[in-house]
Amino acid sequence: MRKSIIVGALLLAGCNSHQSALAPFGLEARSTLTMTTVLVIGAVVIALGVALVFVLAVRAPEGRLDHAGGMRMVLWLGAIVPTVVLTALLVWALPAMRPLPDAVQNLRVHVEGEQFWWRVRYKPQGQPPLISANEVRIPVGRTVVFELTATDVIHSFWIPGLAGKMDMIPGRTNRLVVKADKAGTYRGICAEFCGLSHALMAFDVIAMEPAAFDAWLAASREPPMRTEGRGAALFEASGCNACHSLNGGEGIGPDLTRFGERRTLGAGILPPTVANTAAFIRDPHKSKPGARMPAYAAMPEADALAIARWLKEHGR
Amino acid sequence: MSLYDQDDVALREAQEARLRKVWEPPKGLFLRWTDTNNNRVGVWYVLTAFGFMLFAGVLALIMRMQLAVPDNDLVDAGTFNQLFTLHGSVMMFLFAVPMFEAVSIILLPQLLGARDLPFPRLSAFGYWSFLIGGVFVSGSIFFDAAPDGGWFMYPPLTTRTDLSGLGADIWMLGLSFIEVSSVAAAVELIVGVLKCRPPGMRLNLMPLYAWYILVVAVMILFAFPPLIAGDVLFEMERLLDWPFFDAQRGGDPLLWQHLFWIFGHPEVYIVFLPSIALFAMLVPTFARRHLLGYPWIVLAAVGTAFLSFGLWVHHMFATGLPKISLAFFSAASEAVAIPTAVQIFVFIVTLWAGRVVWSTPLLYATGSLAIFVIGGLTGVMVAVAPFDWQAHDTYFVVAHLHYVLIGGTLMPLFAGLYYYWPLITGKKLSDRLGRTAFWLIFVGANLCFFPMHLSGLEGMPRRVFTYPEELGLGGLNLASTIGSFVIAAGVAVIVLDLCRSPWRQKAPRNPWAAGTLEWLAHPDDEDWGIRSIPLIESRYPIWDQEDFVRKVDEGRYFLPDAEEGRRETIVTSVLDARPVSVIRLGGPSWLPILTAVALGGVFILTTYHFYWAALVSGMLTLALVLAWLWTGTAEIPEKPCKPIGHGIELPLYISGDAAPGWWAMFITMMADATAFSGLVFGYYFFWTRHADFPPMAMADGPGVLWPMAALAVGLASWLATVGARKIHARGKIGLARVLVLLGIAASLAGIYAGLAGPWLSGMDPQAHSYPAIVWTLAIWTTAHCGVAAIMLAYVLARSLAGKMTPQHDADIRNVTVYMHFLALTVAVTYLTIGLFPEFA
Amino acid sequence: MMGERRKWHERLKVTLWTLIVPPTVWAGHFLFSYLWAAISCAKDGRFAKFPMLFTVGTVIALGLIVLSGWVAWKQQRTVGDPPPHEQGTEVDRLRFLAKSTLLLAGLSFVSVLFSALPVVFIGDCR
Repeated sequence: MRKSIIVGALLLAGCNSHQSALAPFGLEARSTLTMTTVLVIGAVVIALGVALVFVLAVRAPEGRLDHAGGMRMVLWLGAIVPTVVLTALLVWALPAMRPLPDAVQNLRVHVEGEQFWWRVRYKPQGQPPLISANEVRIPVGRTVVFELTATDVIHSFWIPGLAGKMDMIPGRTNRLVVKADKAGTYRGICAEFCGLSHALMAFDVIAMEPAAFDAWLAASREPPMRTEGRGAALFEASGCNACHSLNGGEGIGPDLTRFGERRTLGAGILPPTVANTAAFIRDPHKSKPGARMPAYAAMPEADALAIARWLKEHGR
Repeated sequence: MSLYDQDDVALREAQEARLRKVWEPPKGLFLRWTDTNNNRVGVWYVLTAFGFMLFAGVLALIMRMQLAVPDNDLVDAGTFNQLFTLHGSVMMFLFAVPMFEAVSIILLPQLLGARDLPFPRLSAFGYWSFLIGGVFVSGSIFFDAAPDGGWFMYPPLTTRTDLSGLGADIWMLGLSFIEVSSVAAAVELIVGVLKCRPPGMRLNLMPLYAWYILVVAVMILFAFPPLIAGDVLFEMERLLDWPFFDAQRGGDPLLWQHLFWIFGHPEVYIVFLPSIALFAMLVPTFARRHLLGYPWIVLAAVGTAFLSFGLWVHHMFATGLPKISLAFFSAASEAVAIPTAVQIFVFIVTLWAGRVVWSTPLLYATGSLAIFVIGGLTGVMVAVAPFDWQAHDTYFVVAHLHYVLIGGTLMPLFAGLYYYWPLITGKKLSDRLGRTAFWLIFVGANLCFFPMHLSGLEGMPRRVFTYPEELGLGGLNLASTIGSFVIAAGVAVIVLDLCRSPWRQKAPRNPWAAGTLEWLAHPDDEDWGIRSIPLIESRYPIWDQEDFVRKVDEGRYFLPDAEEGRRETIVTSVLDARPVSVIRLGGPSWLPILTAVALGGVFILTTYHFYWAALVSGMLTLALVLAWLWTGTAEIPEKPCKPIGHGIELPLYISGDAAPGWWAMFITMMADATAFSGLVFGYYFFWTRHADFPPMAMADGPGVLWPMAALAVGLASWLATVGARKIHARGKIGLARVLVLLGIAASLAGIYAGLAGPWLSGMDPQAHSYPAIVWTLAIWTTAHCGVAAIMLAYVLARSLAGKMTPQHDADIRNVTVYMHFLALTVAVTYLTIGLFPEFA
Repeated sequence: MMGERRKWHERLKVTLWTLIVPPTVWAGHFLFSYLWAAISCAKDGRFAKFPMLFTVGTVIALGLIVLSGWVAWKQQRTVGDPPPHEQGTEVDRLRFLAKSTLLLAGLSFVSVLFSALPVVFIGDCR
């Protein structure tokens, strides 16, 4: 029964390739996966070995093993062999703790965890920062340094396919050096319990070819296309702009400058359809308990839809 | 040649009648709860802890139902957070640790051939504290007010009062109360093992269970106090807004993580080693031979205990600390696998050398070993930091820790349950039901937790109330949920088995034909514990010592009588168990239960911010403790010595380092000093965190003058007490009283001088972590000065009341131990807050 | 008292306190390593790869462990009483405590070496 479950589980393992340490798209995650494989094989061999010794022990007739023989076995199997194996493991694994080399010209991306979304600031060498939210784009084949902070509570920044996780702790700046090696669309999540919507705090990760990344970065610096209309007026009249910036500025809530390009709504949890967006405006706590954004329950649905439609077009 | 003529049947019966009367439990609806006998208190303790385990198990089932399918909405996020917080907290604080203490309270006196533990009333107090605190914490979920910050309670989520409610206070204060009772139990168990062994039971003949208990109780002494220190800082921040963990005012959330995990990792071994201790008792029984490699087990227990204090940062691998720091802990985390492997092979080798007799307990032991080995191997994996950066805070770790705890705590306890049930009730449990339950739990545990290794690596973080369907984790989670219900079915079968026990036949005495002392217990158990306290010459006396059981039963060993109508047991020396004295034990009393209620009041009332009522409750606690000490300790006996048989005569009063009370004080103060070191760690931790510490703007306080004055008077009170003890022993009672008075005056002056530093320099503890930690150290130390004054006043009163004389001076000797530690506290505090800013 | 002169290591009384000497040395070394690295990194931002202080501390720790192990090794060979030395005699109790101390010395030795490995492989404060 157990065997069939394990086989079944392994089959299921193939399903997810965008948020899995078993489907790496970066150097760190790839070497960790190799390490994982070695550790798993070692663990299985040891577990089977112990089981075998146990079976032999139970089956052996009384007195087959004398006192001296037993003590030798404890010394060798219990003490010396584990010591040798663990020493080898340490000598192999300790150097792997060293972070990737970093250089000043590397792209720095500052990500700040907030309840329950991500503030993202791209800081390319020699250029002004670019502000975004809930989406991280990185160039393939180049070293990228994430600078990770938080102000409200502790969060943890984890892109399973790219590298291990790193906590975001108020009062500290942690650095995570990564290098993606396979373009694609992936997902990152918050890995440290951070409150009511901890489970609903994710972000999109887009690993792009370097040229495409540079082009995207340049395009993002163009002032967003402005469309006027009912949605724009409502956005302002309802006070949305008090928190949400529309021109790459800092705000209390997530930047919405290029909302239309985003692949998800509400920090990686919903498809960014007009209907979802309107529903989120009127009752954000339904899909995101504990979110700071106040509910606009009194807003007529038509108004909410108008804002949503306008946001989708905005900056596209 | 015995003093008593044990061949005389009539005499034996008269002795038994006297013993029976002395050890008779209180009866009646209310009075029965005043009992302090270890057998009954232990059973209440076990049942309560078992009840909490079932409760926490149900919480887990609700969680598994919520996670059975993606995007489920059975419970909302808020409820789910309360569920996992309580599940972890209850399993750890209200099941695993108390269960080990409970089992030990029942077993230890039997294993050591003692009539009871040295401080039966302390056990009762510990039990009532545990019950009150446990109900308070777990009950909160029925009012939707349970803690919801995770069992690790990381600030600032939990310290910011706008982000977390009453639940955080309930956790912090309710569990602090239970931590106090855990430390009380640790004191009891250490003194029990070291001082209450039967004559002849040298350290090398001690049952291995006692070795483990000794080691684990010492671990509690060093592991729980840092958490208590953390709790103090935590509540100071929540209730008074002192910013220890607030980064904007110079605090650091990581300070909490350090203090929590210095507790948290040893905690894992605190709940694991006692279960291995049960194996060490039952494996020889079912291998029908002595355990091979006794010193190896001692190596493993002591080695694990030490190494477990060098692992805590592996819970903080992802916090961004320098890799070199992480690497030290990674290395130690690997090293701890060595003593664990040694233990496993000691058991295997013993089975190899012996003749294996299959039984339900051995089946559980085998199954748990299998599960534990898997958990241990994944433990070696997560100790490798790069792997842990992926696995940390995912379901992989959930799988790992449940394999370890089910294989290393829960199933061994079930093995112990099936093994020791006849000892406690005189009846065996059903082998058929036991085996059914075993297979359900074994298969269920693997079905539930094995898939989690995969779901974790596939990106499922811990503590999520839901997960999206497109992750493809639905199948693995459904398997886990089914597995959890299979485990629950197994536990239900065990509960059924237990419920049917009262209708079963009594089993024969020593039904497993074991060789250790506890199996002297008779199916129709008498309350006196053991008929006569034996002379031990072997590790397995029932197997090896001729006519052992008969001689014990016929009272042919020591202390077969209770002529003076008092509960008594023998105190022996630490290394070689030479008889030292006979001590009188406390009998049934209302004091433990009342003290527990009053102390519980302090914590519970503080939770609801009823500070004045809490203060009243605190005064009441103090009064009750004093009444307890006054009436129940250091009693001057009616005669100096009494014979215990075989021509041996032992004193009835001892003081100093031969006495249990002295050891209890010493051990308690070790715990106190450890908590204090947690606070001092806080001070220097802040120093490493800031380029300028103390901050320039606040560098005036507390100055040098007042701390040095406080140091001087603190040391003066210590010297006065030490002098008083010495002079008192020489018979100069008057001069000793004057010195004690001086000690009181100096302690009170110490309170003023200690607080004057931060007070007069106007340090605002809400402004920054620096003034906050200085105030905390000053308050901690001056509070200890206040306690010193109370203790010295107590000593003076004892002397004036004629309850303390130069020959009977336990009171002042024990207080002197306290004063040694006070001197240490005073020196460290005032040198730190007074002089360190001068150098920093 | 025995009438014959005994070497100092035989006269040394073995107790529960001497039992924990090797692991206590490990604990001291571990704390020293951790604090040394943490304070160097927090206050200086770097530490030398094979610093004198750390090397000396490690050698002292290993020396103390070897010494206590050697004393224990001598004492666990105390003559008298037949094997397997599991009786309730003075000699067997001594041999037991000495043997346990020796084993703990072995574990502590390995653990101190483990604590020293990181300094070999990780050379900076990142």
